[in-house]
Amino acid sequence: MSKIKYYIRRLFVTVLLIFGVVSFLFIAFRLMPGDYATTLAGGGASSSELEEIRESWGLNEPLYMQYYHYMANMVTGDPGTSHVSNEPVLSYVRAPLMNSLILVIPAILVAFTIGSIYGALLGTKSGTAFERYGILPPTLAGTTPNFFIGILLLLIFSSALGWFPVGGMAGYETYAEVESHYEIYLTTDFWSHYVLPFTTIVLTFLYYPALIMRGSVIDVKGQEYTYFQRIAGLPSKTRFKHLMKHSSLPVITLLPAQTATAISGLVLIETVFNWPGIGTLLFDSVLSRDTPVIQFLFIIVAIWIIFGNLIVDIFYTVIDPRITIED
Amino acid sequence: MTEPLLEVENVDITYRMDSEDVHAVTNASFEIGANEYFGLVGESGCGKSTLAKSVIKGLDSNGEVSAGTIRYKGREIQDLSEKEYNKEIRWKEISVIPQAAMNSLNPLAKLSDQAIEIANVHTDWSAEKSVDRLKELFDIVGLPESRVTDYPHQFSGGMKQRAIIAMSLLLNPSLIIADEPTTALDVIMQDQFLKHIDGLRDERDLALLLITHDIAVVFETCDSMAVMHGGQIAEKGTTKEIFSTPRHPYTILLQQSFPDARHPDRELEVIEGSPPALREEVDYCTFASRCPWAEQECQESLPPIESMNGNDSHAVSCFRSDEMESLASEHLNTIGRPQANAIENEGYEDDD
Repeated sequence: MSKIKYYIRRLFVTVLLIFGVVSFLFIAFRLMPGDYATTLAGGGASSSELEEIRESWGLNEPLYMQYYHYMANMVTGDPGTSHVSNEPVLSYVRAPLMNSLILVIPAILVAFTIGSIYGALLGTKSGTAFERYGILPPTLAGTTPNFFIGILLLLIFSSALGWFPVGGMAGYETYAEVESHYEIYLTTDFWSHYVLPFTTIVLTFLYYPALIMRGSVIDVKGQEYTYFQRIAGLPSKTRFKHLMKHSSLPVITLLPAQTATAISGLVLIETVFNWPGIGTLLFDSVLSRDTPVIQFLFIIVAIWIIFGNLIVDIFYTVIDPRITIED
Repeated sequence: MTEPLLEVENVDITYRMDSEDVHAVTNASFEIGANEYFGLVGESGCGKSTLAKSVIKGLDSNGEVSAGTIRYKGREIQDLSEKEYNKEIRWKEISVIPQAAMNSLNPLAKLSDQAIEIANVHTDWSAEKSVDRLKELFDIVGLPESRVTDYPHQFSGGMKQRAIIAMSLLLNPSLIIADEPTTALDVIMQDQFLKHIDGLRDERDLALLLITHDIAVVFETCDSMAVMHGGQIAEKGTTKEIFSTPRHPYTILLQQSFPDARHPDRELEVIEGSPPALREEVDYCTFASRCPWAEQECQESLPPIESMNGNDSHAVSCFRSDEMESLASEHLNTIGRPQANAIENEGYEDDD
């Protein structure tokens, strides 16, 4: 099978998977206990009022019709309206989503870069005291709950030392100054709020790339072909390049999955730092049972994981020739 | 005799360990002539690979040639810097077929790219020239030329083996060091491999240093050979001399420990014990502790390697080498070994 055919098939599977996940979410949300209409109406609504709400939200229709509307809305890019803000979900979620992405994507990339380099360093120095004890710091950081690291950082750098603000994304003055939401990203105030949650995510996610890179380097280093390259006189720089290319394969596999974990793990970190991202939004939406918003956030995370894996699979066929494409 | 291609003279090799040194090779000397196939046999850990690695400068960083000289075409090479060695000797003059030939290719790169990479280090060849050369060699080792752009995983084990031979011939060396090339292979692959190696002899001026623990492989392939035990060369000579008139106790017992198709009922010899750990300066015969004929002298001083019966090629490192013939036949008669009239009847060099 040619590569193009493989990509097309892989894309098709991806679409199918997304369809499956979206459908599953529909079912899952219908299975949740409680009655929509009662929640929407708030306390003390009369039965005629409830009936009216059911009518207007289409909750009286049979389930398959509800499913049909739901799917049609999703496909046309309309995930509904937030109960809480009465805003369309898309515009309601956009700002928190951006806030989260601007925090989590750079943090994960930095964590993977530092983690891989550190792991590679450990791997090349295997057997030394540096390797034996050098593995401790990332292990410690990676196995400590992230909210605890966050609280610790707050305690040291905000409360005790006063270097960074305690929480939020920017001060009131900054909010007052800017005209549109995205201008906040350009203020220094934003970045001083950014440092601690960013550091927390980096510390939490250093662990896997560091450990896996270390193991991978040790493994590849011990393979016979590295000896052959040495004996054939290839310069150490060239051999190092080959070693790194080969060793980084498992780390690359890890990247999208870890990014997804980071996004879904944001709830705790954002709550600790009071960061107005999707973690906080999800938390608030669950408390207020803002179903369309929760549903949409779940779909976004699912799509991210599915697409991340698609990208890795495609990337693999480019970087690793041993991945054969079979019918 | 013309000037030998490779001369290893009184070489000691020492590995520096944390607490102590390991004297892996003591006072080793041998020569390989141009176009000569030379076998170096011995059990695991006897120092044969270490000796070979010292010739190609492939010793681990804690190992060094602590005494003696290694000369290639008359030039001392043991003290050459990595840079000089790379520029003048490596791959162009001396190349290697490594121990694990099947896993010695980079799994992530095309064979043609790997050839280009090696050629780039040692020559100023263009990429096309390197690839053309590899195609030529693929033809010689019996691989289809079109497959030079394949990746290693697209090859079977035997094909990888042949590809490695092609890689080692890339820059037309005069000497190839094959370090246990057949150890990981089943007997059929072994046979094929040896045929390829043998075939190369007719194609080009090529000498071979074959390292193996399998004395039968050496008898089959090589012109001359040396037997190593515990870091010392026990005996060296032409293959014929060593096959028919072994004079070192280790060689004699080693030969008797292999089954012989002509004498299927013969009892196989067992060499008891294990070689010494070589942790201190070696000034004794390392086989003495296992030798049925060892005397006080053998434990106390290092036997010199001496020519047998004024014969130039055959030399033995044993104090009792002169008596060995009678001692051995006495010993062997007790276990019913038929007299070695050996090589004339060529019984087991059965070439299809």
